[in-house]
Amino acid sequence: MAAAIGSSIGKSFARLESRDKVTGRADYTHHLRLPGMLYGKIFRSTLPHARIKRVDTSAASALEGVYQVVTIDDIRKVIPNPYYGPAFHDQPILADGKVRFAGEPVAVVLAFDKRIAEEALGLIEVEYEELPGVFDEVEAMTSTTLVHDELKPAATFPDLAHLKGRKATNVALDYKLRRGDTERAFAEADHVFEHTFRAQQVMHTPMEPFVSIADFKDGQLTLHTASQGPSFVRIEIARLLGLPENRVRVKVPFLGGGFGGKLYIKLEALVTALSVIVRRPVKIALTMEEQFFMVTRHPCTFTIKSGVTKDGKITARHCEVVWNGGAYADIGPRVTQKGGFTSAGPYDIENVTINSYAVYTNRPPCGALRGFGAPQTAWAYECHTDLIAQALGIDKIEFRRKNMLREGRPQASGTPLRDAEVERAMDQVLDRLQWNKPLDRGTGRIRRGRGIAIGFKGITAPTTSVAIVNMYGDGSCGLYIGTVDMGQGSDTVMAQIAGEVLNIDPTTIRVIHPDTDVTPYDMGTLGSRSTFHMGNAVRAAADDAKSKIAALARELGLPEGSNVPLSELLRRRYGMQAGNIIGTGSFIPDYEKPDTETGQTTKGTPFWGVGAAGAEVEIDTETGQLTILKLINVADVGTALNPMAVRQQLSGSGIMQLGHTITENMVFRDGQLTNGSLADYKIPSLLDMPVEYINEHVPNAYDKAGPFGAKGTGESTSIALSPAIGNAVADAIGVQIMDLPITAESIYRALQKANGTPLAED
Amino acid sequence: MKIAPPTVRPPALCMKRRWASLTLTAWGVCSLHIVRGPRASAKGCDLASFELLEPRSLGEAFALLDSDDPAVRPFGGGTALMLMMKAQIFKPVRLVSLRLLGGPLHGIELAADKSAFRIGAMTTFAELEHSPDIRAHLPVVTQTMLTLANVRVRNVATIGGNLAHGDPHLDLPPVWTALDAKVRIASKAGERTIPVQELFAGYYETTLKHGEIITGIDVPVRPKWTSHYAKVTTRAQHDWPALGLAVSAQFDGKRINDIRVVLSAAVDRPSRMKGAEAVLRGAEIDDAVLSRAADAALGEVHIESDLRGSADYKQHLLRVHLGRAVKALSPRGDQATIQRA
Ligand SMILES: Cc1cc2nc3c(=O)[nH]c(=O)nc-3n(C[C@H](O)[C@H](O)[C@H](O)COP(=O)(O)OP(=O)(O)OC[C@H]3O[C@@H](n4cnc5c(N)ncnc54)[C@H](O)[C@@H]3O)c2cc1C
Repeated sequence: MAAAIGSSIGKSFARLESRDKVTGRADYTHHLRLPGMLYGKIFRSTLPHARIKRVDTSAASALEGVYQVVTIDDIRKVIPNPYYGPAFHDQPILADGKVRFAGEPVAVVLAFDKRIAEEALGLIEVEYEELPGVFDEVEAMTSTTLVHDELKPAATFPDLAHLKGRKATNVALDYKLRRGDTERAFAEADHVFEHTFRAQQVMHTPMEPFVSIADFKDGQLTLHTASQGPSFVRIEIARLLGLPENRVRVKVPFLGGGFGGKLYIKLEALVTALSVIVRRPVKIALTMEEQFFMVTRHPCTFTIKSGVTKDGKITARHCEVVWNGGAYADIGPRVTQKGGFTSAGPYDIENVTINSYAVYTNRPPCGALRGFGAPQTAWAYECHTDLIAQALGIDKIEFRRKNMLREGRPQASGTPLRDAEVERAMDQVLDRLQWNKPLDRGTGRIRRGRGIAIGFKGITAPTTSVAIVNMYGDGSCGLYIGTVDMGQGSDTVMAQIAGEVLNIDPTTIRVIHPDTDVTPYDMGTLGSRSTFHMGNAVRAAADDAKSKIAALARELGLPEGSNVPLSELLRRRYGMQAGNIIGTGSFIPDYEKPDTETGQTTKGTPFWGVGAAGAEVEIDTETGQLTILKLINVADVGTALNPMAVRQQLSGSGIMQLGHTITENMVFRDGQLTNGSLADYKIPSLLDMPVEYINEHVPNAYDKAGPFGAKGTGESTSIALSPAIGNAVADAIGVQIMDLPITAESIYRALQKANGTPLAED
Repeated sequence: MKIAPPTVRPPALCMKRRWASLTLTAWGVCSLHIVRGPRASAKGCDLASFELLEPRSLGEAFALLDSDDPAVRPFGGGTALMLMMKAQIFKPVRLVSLRLLGGPLHGIELAADKSAFRIGAMTTFAELEHSPDIRAHLPVVTQTMLTLANVRVRNVATIGGNLAHGDPHLDLPPVWTALDAKVRIASKAGERTIPVQELFAGYYETTLKHGEIITGIDVPVRPKWTSHYAKVTTRAQHDWPALGLAVSAQFDGKRINDIRVVLSAAVDRPSRMKGAEAVLRGAEIDDAVLSRAADAALGEVHIESDLRGSADYKQHLLRVHLGRAVKALSPRGDQATIQRA
C-alpha cells in the first residue's frame, strides 16, 4: 500500500536547525558555564583488575587552587548505596574497594580552574593489590576469575529478577530461545555446518565527548547533560538521591552525536554526587581519549551451526552467542537479548536453539551501539550463509530465496514477519550491483569479487513515548518532546508529523528540547524507536489538539468544517490573544513478553528493521590491500517521511559500520588499551569511502503500525554491511575472513594460510 | 636530545607536572612579544600557562634557549608541540618562537647556478608545496606534500620543527635523506652542517644539543636523478605510515648508476638501507635483482610489530614496496603516493 502523501509527509525538508549549526549558534552542553561552577577531572585506574588498598589524596588536596578531592568514601556520605545501572545496579559512582578495568574512575579533583584539577591528578597516589584479570568473553564464561562477587539486577527490569544474588559467575544473563526439536533436526540433516565468527570492540566516537553539569541546591537538582535519555536519567538519579521525580530536572540541548553511547547513566551520577557534596554546580567534560573508558560496543564470539538438506533447505540452527560486556553491565543484558533474538537471521527455520550470554570481563564497559547487537550477529549468520551455499554448490542468492523468512511466517521467536521487505531490499541491492552481469574478476595480483547480505533486527519493547502539542494564542505551535536531536533530524521529522495533522507548515513549528520539567516522558532516543514511537505519540497529540480545536469551534457556534483560524477562535473565546490548545498523545506498542524458557512470543518487536547490502571489492593479493569499488545499502524504512533525512541516516550509519568493518578496533594488551586516541584508533575518513556509494530505501514500503507508514531507520544500514564486504572479499580471494575488522593484514594472512605458507602469529 | 613520544599514555598517568606562571623577561619591549599569558589561557583552554617569547634575532633566541630545562624549547609551527601539550606529555615553561627571526630561517633559495636549494627552517610545508622552483627541481617534495597531513597543518608546520621532532613516522625526513640533503644547525657556539640522517639518533631522539636550533636545510639539485616516495598505510588510508620508503636513483639507460634507499616508520629512525643500495647499484632492474635487494634490506633493518602491522607483515610489505618503488622510478620521473598496504 502506498503512503498517504499530504503536504508535509514524504518531502525533503531541510533540517530546522541547519542554519544554527553551521553558524555556530546551536546550543550544546559543552558551552554552558554556571556561576560558581567547579570543574571535575577524573583520576583513573591504571590496572584492569585490582583491590584498592589505599588512596592518598593529601598532596592533591594541598595543591593551591584545588577545591576538594573526592573518593567513594565522600560519595557514600550523600548516597549511601552509590551503585547504578539500567539493568544491574553494579556500577559504583567511583571505584569502591576494587577496580574492574584499566581506566575506571577512582577519584575526582574539583577546582575552579580545570588546569589545576588536571595538575592535581598527578599528585594522587593509589596503592593496589593486583588481581588476575579476565578479558576474553569465551574464557570468562568458565573462568574462576570473577569480575563481580554477586549479580545485582535492577528492579526496573522485572524479567531479570531471577538473577538476583547469583554468585560465582561472570555470566550476567543467559537468554534462551527454543523452537522445534533442534537436536533431532540436526540428526536428520544431510549436512551440518558450523563456524565461529568474532566481532571486535569498537567505540561510538561521537565528536562531542561526554559532558554533564549538575547543580544541586535547595533540595532540588538540575542536570544539564548530553544524554540520549533524559527521562531515564531523571528516574535513576531520583532513585539514587531518594528524591521524587519532580525534584530532579534534566535538560538536554543538541547532541554532537550519541550512537547509543549517551544512554542511561554516564557522567550524570558522578556530577550529581559531586554537586550534592560541594553544593555548587559541577561540570565534567571528557576528552576524546577518555571516551574509550566510558562505554563501547560488545566484542562478540558467535558459533553458528546449521543443518541443511541436500537441496539446500535449512532445517536446524544452533546459535551460541557470547557477548563481552566489560566490567559493568550497562544495557548489555538487553543487547544480549535483542541481539540473540534475531541471531538465526531472516530465515524460515523450523528448529532453532539460541543461547546468548552477557559476560563480565575486565574491559571497559560495553553498552548500546547503533544496531544493538544486530551487526555482530549478522556478520556471523550472513557469512555462514555464503559458506554453506558455497559448500553445497548452490547459488548464494537462490539459497537465500529458498530459506528466506516471508511475510506472515513466524520468525524463530514465533513473532510473524510483518511489513518487512527483506526480499525486495535484496532484489534492489542485486539490481544496483548489476548482479546479472558478469564481473571482471581482475588479473595478476588484482582480484575482484562481490557479495551481498541481508539482515534484520528487533526493536526494544515495550517502550513508551509521550508528546504534547501546544497551540498558542496566535495559532503558532510548540511541540514538547523528550526525543533528543543528536544529528539524526528528529526535530524536523516530528515537526513534519505534527504539521501534517494540523495542516501547518512544519518549518514554523518550534520543537522544545528535552527538559523534564517541561517535556513529557520518553523512554529514550535509541534503537531506531523515535520515528515509530514518538512519531505515533506526536501524531496522537496533534490529533488531540485538532479535535480540541474542532470542539472549540463548535462551542463558539461555528458550522462544522468552518475555516476560521485558531488565533481567531482563541480571541473570540478569551476576548484577546490568549489561551492555549494543548493536545497530548502517548504510544506504547503491542507487545507480548517472551516465555523465559523458550523465548517464544507472538509480539516480540514493534516493527522489523530490515537492511540489505552489497559490495564489490578489489584486492591486491600481494599485500592484502582492500579497495571497496561499490557499496550499496538498501533499507526498508516503511514510508520515507523525509527522503533526504532517510538517505543521510542510511549513509551515515553505513559509513560508521564501514569503520567497524575495516578500520576500527580497540586493541588491548593485558587489559590495557593500546590505541586510545584518534591518531591510533582509526575511524574512516573521506579517503576511505567506497569508490561508488549508494544508499536507498525500498520504495512504497508501508508499516501499518507506524506514523503514516514509517518505521525507524537509524540502524538499518548497520546490519548487513559487514557481511556483504566479508562475502565480497571471500568471493575475490576464495577465503572467508572470520574475524572483524577486515584489514589488509588479515586478508594477506588468510591468503598465506590458504596457500600453506602462514605468517607467524603476532 | 630526547623528546617524549606521543604514544598513548596509560590512563591517569602520574607524571610530575610543572606549573609555570608568566615571567616577564627583560628583553627590550620592541624585540620581544609576549603572546600569551595566563589570562588568555583561562578562557576555557586546557593548557597550563607558560611563556611564549618571540625574539627578533638569533642572539636573543640563543640566550632565551640557554637552559638545561627540557621544558624550554624552540617553537616552529607548533603543530607537534601542541599535540604533546594537549596530551600533557609536554609541559612547557618557555617556548621560544622562531617566527620573527628573519633572514636565514626563512625562504626557499635556489642557487644562481641552480645546483642547490637553501631552505630556511621556518619555511612552512605550504610554502614548499606551492614553490614553482621546488616543483621544477625537487618534484618528489611537492608530491610528498599531498600525502601529508592536511591544508591547515601544512599552512603552519615548518621543515625545521619537522626535522627536530624526531618522530620516525614523519614523511619528509626519509625524502630529504634520499635527496642527500644536509641540515644547518646553529648555536651561540657557531654553526655546523650534517647530513640529514645524522640528525636522527633513535625513536624521537635527535643529535641536537641543548641550545641548538636548526636554521635550515641544503638540498642539492641532481638533474639526472629521479625519486619516489611511497607512504604505505595499512588501516585507514590517512594514517601514519606502516612504512615510508624513499628511493632516489641516477640511471644510465636502464642501468642504475647510483641509488639511495631510505626506510622510515617501520624503524626507529629514517634509515638508509645500504645493503639494498649495493645490490641495486650498477644493476639493471629485473625481478631477481629486486628480490635480492629486498633480501638485503630485510637483513639490515630491525622491524617490530606495532598497531600498523605485525613485524612479519611489515617485512613482507617492505619486500613488495621496495620492488614497486624501484620499478616506478625511471620512466615516470618523481612520484610520491599513498600506497594502502
Ligand atoms: C593533524 C596532523 C596531521 C599530521 N599528519 C602528518 C602526516 O601525514 N605526515 C607527516 O609527516 N607529518 C604529519 N604531521 C606532523 C607534522 O609534520 C609535524 O607536526 C610538523 O612537521 C612539526 O613541525 P612544527 O613546525 O609544527 O614543529 P613544532 O611543533 O613547532 O616543533 C616540533 C619540535 O621541534 C622543535 N623545533 C621546532 N623548530 C625547531 C628548530 N628550528 N630547531 C630546533 N628545534 C626545533 C620543537 O621544540 C619541538 O620539539 C601531522 C600533524 C598534525 C597535527
